[in-house]
Amino acid sequence: MREKYDEEIKTELSDEEIDNLDVNAMIHEQRIREKSAEKEKRKQQRKESVQSVGRYFSDAWEAFTRGDVWVKLSSVLMGAGYFARKQIINGLLVMLAEAGFIFFIAFYSVPFLADFGTLGTVKFESVFDPVTLQNTVNDYDNSFLILLNSIISIFVIIVFVIFYIANIKNVYKLQLDKESGKHINTFREDLNELVNDRFHITLLTLPVIGVILMNIIPIFVLVAVAFTNYDQQHMPPNSLFTWVGLANFKSLFSNSITATFGYAFGKILVWTLVWAVFATFTTFIGGILLAILINHKRVKLKKMWRTLFIIAIAVPQFVTLLLVRNFFADSGIVNTICSNLGITRLLQNIGLVSTSIDYIPFLTDPGWAKFMIIMINIWVGVPYQMLISTGILMNIPSDQIESARIDGASNWQIFWHIKIPHILFIQGPALITDFVKNINNFNVIWLLTQNVFITHDQALASSNAKEVDLLVTWLFRLTNEYYNYKMASVIGIVVFVICAVFTLITYTRTIKGDREEDFR
Amino acid sequence: MKKKLLALLIASTMVVGTLAGCGGQAPADSAENTGASEGTNASGVQALIDATEGTVELTVWASEIQQDLTQQLVDEFEALYPDVDFNITVGACSEAQAKDTVLTDVTAAADVYTFADDQINELVAGGALQPVSASYTYDVAGENLSGAVEAATVDGQLYAYPSTASNGYFMFYSTEYFTEDDVKSFDQMMQIAADNGKKITMQIDAGWYLYSFFKGAGLDTGLNEDGVTNFCEWNQDGGTDVAQAILDICSNPGFQSATDEEFQTGIAEGTIIAGVSGTWDAEAAAAAWGDNYAAAKLPTFTVAGEQVQMSSYSGYKLIGVNPHSDYVGWSMLLAEYLTCQSSQEKRFDTYQEGPANAAAAASDAVKANPAIAALAAQAEFATPQRIGGNYWASSETLGSILAAGNPDGTSLQELLDNAVAGITAPVSE
Repeated sequence: MREKYDEEIKTELSDEEIDNLDVNAMIHEQRIREKSAEKEKRKQQRKESVQSVGRYFSDAWEAFTRGDVWVKLSSVLMGAGYFARKQIINGLLVMLAEAGFIFFIAFYSVPFLADFGTLGTVKFESVFDPVTLQNTVNDYDNSFLILLNSIISIFVIIVFVIFYIANIKNVYKLQLDKESGKHINTFREDLNELVNDRFHITLLTLPVIGVILMNIIPIFVLVAVAFTNYDQQHMPPNSLFTWVGLANFKSLFSNSITATFGYAFGKILVWTLVWAVFATFTTFIGGILLAILINHKRVKLKKMWRTLFIIAIAVPQFVTLLLVRNFFADSGIVNTICSNLGITRLLQNIGLVSTSIDYIPFLTDPGWAKFMIIMINIWVGVPYQMLISTGILMNIPSDQIESARIDGASNWQIFWHIKIPHILFIQGPALITDFVKNINNFNVIWLLTQNVFITHDQALASSNAKEVDLLVTWLFRLTNEYYNYKMASVIGIVVFVICAVFTLITYTRTIKGDREEDFR
Repeated sequence: MKKKLLALLIASTMVVGTLAGCGGQAPADSAENTGASEGTNASGVQALIDATEGTVELTVWASEIQQDLTQQLVDEFEALYPDVDFNITVGACSEAQAKDTVLTDVTAAADVYTFADDQINELVAGGALQPVSASYTYDVAGENLSGAVEAATVDGQLYAYPSTASNGYFMFYSTEYFTEDDVKSFDQMMQIAADNGKKITMQIDAGWYLYSFFKGAGLDTGLNEDGVTNFCEWNQDGGTDVAQAILDICSNPGFQSATDEEFQTGIAEGTIIAGVSGTWDAEAAAAAWGDNYAAAKLPTFTVAGEQVQMSSYSGYKLIGVNPHSDYVGWSMLLAEYLTCQSSQEKRFDTYQEGPANAAAAASDAVKANPAIAALAAQAEFATPQRIGGNYWASSETLGSILAAGNPDGTSLQELLDNAVAGITAPVSE
């Protein structure tokens, strides 16, 4: 009887297993199909995007060849097509833009663009006349101005080319509209469109101009500097700098700049990544734990605790950090307390502190300093994370938690399977931004270690680096104290590539937009 | 006709100026003294006044602390030339950071600015200093201390106007513990400090101070002719003896390597009874020690059994003129006024900064100042700071390792070799 029962169960189980297998196989197959479909789709998209670029130009060519004489004339006098269709103001505006462009290029850009290949050849010379007390200065080239203005000019040219092509198409469309007897807008109607159908253009114009001026052009200049020899010995306006190709990148990965540049770069890169991982996840987890603790039923005076932690945010970070740096100085207050309490002696006995010194080298020993920097960063960063987590925790649908409880889930299970996924889902993108921010976290490192930490690694010192440096603080020292702009640009590009690769991988792997269904 | 009247007016102004200060001192003899000057100076100033039209817009950068006096001197300067319309702005920029601010964009920097003499090479290389090829109201090269003029000179060309001569370092001590004879020897001082359970200090982990040991023992370091890279003899014969001497000093119970802040706290608390520092700590030392406050030149220290006089970096504050200024002539005249004898005397009266002007430095008031007297005594062992940027990190690390007692037990020769490799490293081409 017993055996039979067992067998029954067994068969039942195996049936179930078989079912499961079937289902699994089906799901698997479906996934594969989905994946290949997705691949196909991507291929298609890529093809389309290539085609659309081709179409962009062929359309313009078509407009030009099929257009009437006015369209053809528009390729020289850009307003012609508008005049022909009685859009006088449009025509004038376009003519004005064309004239402005030609004027800008001819009278402003050409001298700079002509020197763009060499970045200038005439060196600054000045002769002082002691009788008139005046300097006579030659007509010298300023490499930096040449570089900057050339890049701006190239930008203007690209924008103008886009405008030019759009103009040809537009004029051709006007011709077609006229031929087919469609209504042609007056200038007033065009203006009206800008606040109705084409309102997005009105809204976006200013921000786009701002982004180009404030972000894109400076980035291009920075990238260009990485390919020049712009440094202490080649500083405009008194000296010229010029293109050196990939030489700077080569020297970053060899040891030719200082004897130990490559060594220092490797060491600093490793610490930068270690720091970014620790700094991001310790504050993240710490913030969640703190939020849960404060939200706990038994905790009294919730608002007071929260306010206390927020006050820590209200104090400017650099004030906090400089104060903390003094607290933990070799002869600072924390060391005095530790030595009075016998903690210094204790640490010496364990072997964490060398017996040759009578203080704890909180910020002066590489190991200790790294540990302290991460700990202090937790203290500085946790309140922010606590605020965010509190908001998220309060918004978790209570039905989920209640039903979990009814099903007999323990607090730990609720935390691990409901709260954490919820927080992670909402905060995933923020976490990646945090990571990138920490790679570039200048404040904490610089304010805590500058003028305090002295490296004992002579190889690092030869490259002006320290064990606790992040790439960005090293970059700052290299540029600000040694005017090594070219290497700063190279490191800047490398940091950007590291951040970009990391962000791309994590974004696409972990928190794709379509994972929402999985989570729900 | 009008011009003549103007000239007359100006001539009379110059006379008044002579009486009021040093703005219009008879310039005839100065032309002979400054070998470089070519023109006749009185006519130069006159020509400049004649040629000036409209408002002369100038910017002057002085340290945050010296704003008041600078403004006062600028006002006096404006009063010297009543026919010229000036608009002179005084901005704040510390002498120690002038180089960074100025070289960021020379064309946008101030017309006249104050800087510490160690930055002069980089400023000249960056084209941020107008050569002082002629002087007009006083003889810049002749009236200032030779050390100050040397500090303001690069490749035989004077590039700046010396303003103060008290930026070097020397030994502070308390007469409660030391006699004048005691402070002649580092060993004696450490002995006394150890006997009293106190400390004497010097910052070993800083290239600025570390230099004094090696240079004292005859091992030099400095700038190569290219003006950017360094040479360094520290790892040559006798280098390890100096390193051993520093190790011995650092392990002495009467010695502590201390930063500026630690020195100030230490003397206030009474744990530090002597230390190597500069005039910036004079006030703190005088406050802590009262009547016992004293200062002396640096002592001798023991290298391989012999007494060696410590060397030091001298330090001067200089005033420079930006060659990209729209009014170079007026900038030069203003710089001359800001550094003339009476201005330097005022600077000493107000801030206790030792004058670079020989006559001002010889006055009784200046000589009675212990810190400045100590600097003067140290002067014969001091050299201007001429060193490229690669010196600092490597020397700091070497000093730091020695101050920690060479914890890894690396051979001293290897330590020195590494440091020299870093100090003399090529600056990226």
